[in-house]
Amino acid sequence: MFDIAVRELASHRTRTILTAMGIFIAITAIVSLGSISTGLNELVTSTTGSIGADTIFVMKHFDMSDMSGPPGSQSIEDISAEEVAEISKIPGIKRAVPVISRQIGGMFEVDGIDIDDMDMFGVEGLEFEEGMWPDNDEKGAVLGKIVANSFDVTVGDTILLNKKEVEVVGIFEGESGSYDLVVLVPYEYANEIYEADRGATQIMLEPVDISMVDSIKSMIEDEHEDLDAMTMEDALSMMEEMTGTLNIMTFGIGFITSLVAAIGIIITMYTSVVERRQQIGIMKATGAYGRTILIQILEEGLVISLASSLLALVVSFFFVDMINNVLLGGASLALITPELAIGAVMYGVILTMLASLYPARIAVRTDPIKAIRGN
Amino acid sequence: MKKENIFDLRDVSKVYCMKGVETHALRNVNLTIAKGEYAAIIGPSGSGKSTLMHIMGCLDTPTSGKLILEGEDVSEMEDDELAHVRRERIGFVFQTYNLIPGLTAIENVSLPMRFNGIGKGEAQKRAIELLNKVGLSERMHHKPSEMSGGEQQRVAIARSLVNDPDIIMADEPTGNLDSKTGIEIMDLIEELHKNTGKTVIIVTHDKKLSKRAPRQIEMLDGKPVR
Repeated sequence: MFDIAVRELASHRTRTILTAMGIFIAITAIVSLGSISTGLNELVTSTTGSIGADTIFVMKHFDMSDMSGPPGSQSIEDISAEEVAEISKIPGIKRAVPVISRQIGGMFEVDGIDIDDMDMFGVEGLEFEEGMWPDNDEKGAVLGKIVANSFDVTVGDTILLNKKEVEVVGIFEGESGSYDLVVLVPYEYANEIYEADRGATQIMLEPVDISMVDSIKSMIEDEHEDLDAMTMEDALSMMEEMTGTLNIMTFGIGFITSLVAAIGIIITMYTSVVERRQQIGIMKATGAYGRTILIQILEEGLVISLASSLLALVVSFFFVDMINNVLLGGASLALITPELAIGAVMYGVILTMLASLYPARIAVRTDPIKAIRGN
Repeated sequence: MKKENIFDLRDVSKVYCMKGVETHALRNVNLTIAKGEYAAIIGPSGSGKSTLMHIMGCLDTPTSGKLILEGEDVSEMEDDELAHVRRERIGFVFQTYNLIPGLTAIENVSLPMRFNGIGKGEAQKRAIELLNKVGLSERMHHKPSEMSGGEQQRVAIARSLVNDPDIIMADEPTGNLDSKTGIEIMDLIEELHKNTGKTVIIVTHDKKLSKRAPRQIEMLDGKPVR
């Protein structure tokens, strides 16, 4: 009887489109927002995964409420050269790597770090699309793919950092996670560009042994009240807190749009059932079981939900592509995973089925006598 | 030899209660109809003839009394059991045709067979055969809105036959038709009765039409009076 359900929907096109619209909007919202949430989660995982678990980050104390991006992306006061030197001398530290970080263009970050210490920054394994690392005494910058796309530059061109022209000497391959969004320059050169007096926005510390992480952390915080020391675990939980907030927002918006869609489905399906009372009565009079009617209404819901959810998925892919390529200059920040896609379609179908149940039950209760009399 | 009864109504009453007011549509009706009989139920508006047809057609159940259909008591059956009886044993023809507007003639005719779990192909094959029989070979793919009243009633007759029921019940089958088409439809129903031996019960208020049936059951105030 599936063909009859499809015929029924086709013969009431406007009503069908109106019903489908609610589900379409809900699923598009869920997939589009969910893709940003998923993309950020992936970004956090890939970034933190490439940095050693024993790494300690030291930076000037700041209030959590001022945070609005990944560590190092805020305009935090620099740690002085004296403090950098003092921290380097704390027992149990194998390596102390000062990093000068500044934001450019709203979403990009310039990091000045000693080229020999790039492994601490998690960029060691990244492939170059063009060019290569500069030497420590060289004046050049390596750009993430999205930064290069955004500034429309290639190796040999220059970009302006703190009003100074800096030559591009290398560009990473795309799909490098958060490294698509960075500009890396040798520490000495960053010091010169930003006149940082050999200070650091953050110091990355490698302990002699992982068991010493906590003691080093407490020692820094005890001796330097103006500094925060954060382990990789702390950074992870902070990022998880941020992505968690985004997940809740996505869930909230998705829930509200779903609720509106479900109410819309109930109203249009109910109207459809009332309008078709005579037809349903004829079906019952000519021998249809109650469950046959129920199944037909649910089949109609299934067709509408599958079609609108799949269309929503296609449109979401388009949206995500637009977010990544137009707004983010080629970043893969928004990401539709197979789990998100399948989950959203299943959610759309289940939501419609549940919302169709009430109108379907009304249809089952249709009195064939009243219906065939046209009352 | 006495014919076996297909319908046996024993003290059947139907009372409707609307806003606390009771209306007696049928009052202790005792009636038998033999297998293969062609009978007309007649009577003025409000006499209970339609209610009688709805109860005999298993569209409704009596408030009291029993309806025995071929030896089986159907008066206390559940909705789905009644639906099964209607689908297997009774074919309906209504005054307003009651075809499904979005479906073609073939689809309308084959629908009761589809309810029986029969596949679309087989059901449509049978529908084509019946539409040919009622003279609609040229109108099979037309929707009701594209057909005349007479053609729609022919589709309804074909639909009533699709599951090969023993009983055909027609409620004012010519009520919406002009007299010429009405005669054609009655000829078709009678031919059906003659050729297949099916039990045919017609409900009408038209005395002239009722006289075409060998037996007339006249209803008055919820009771057969003749």
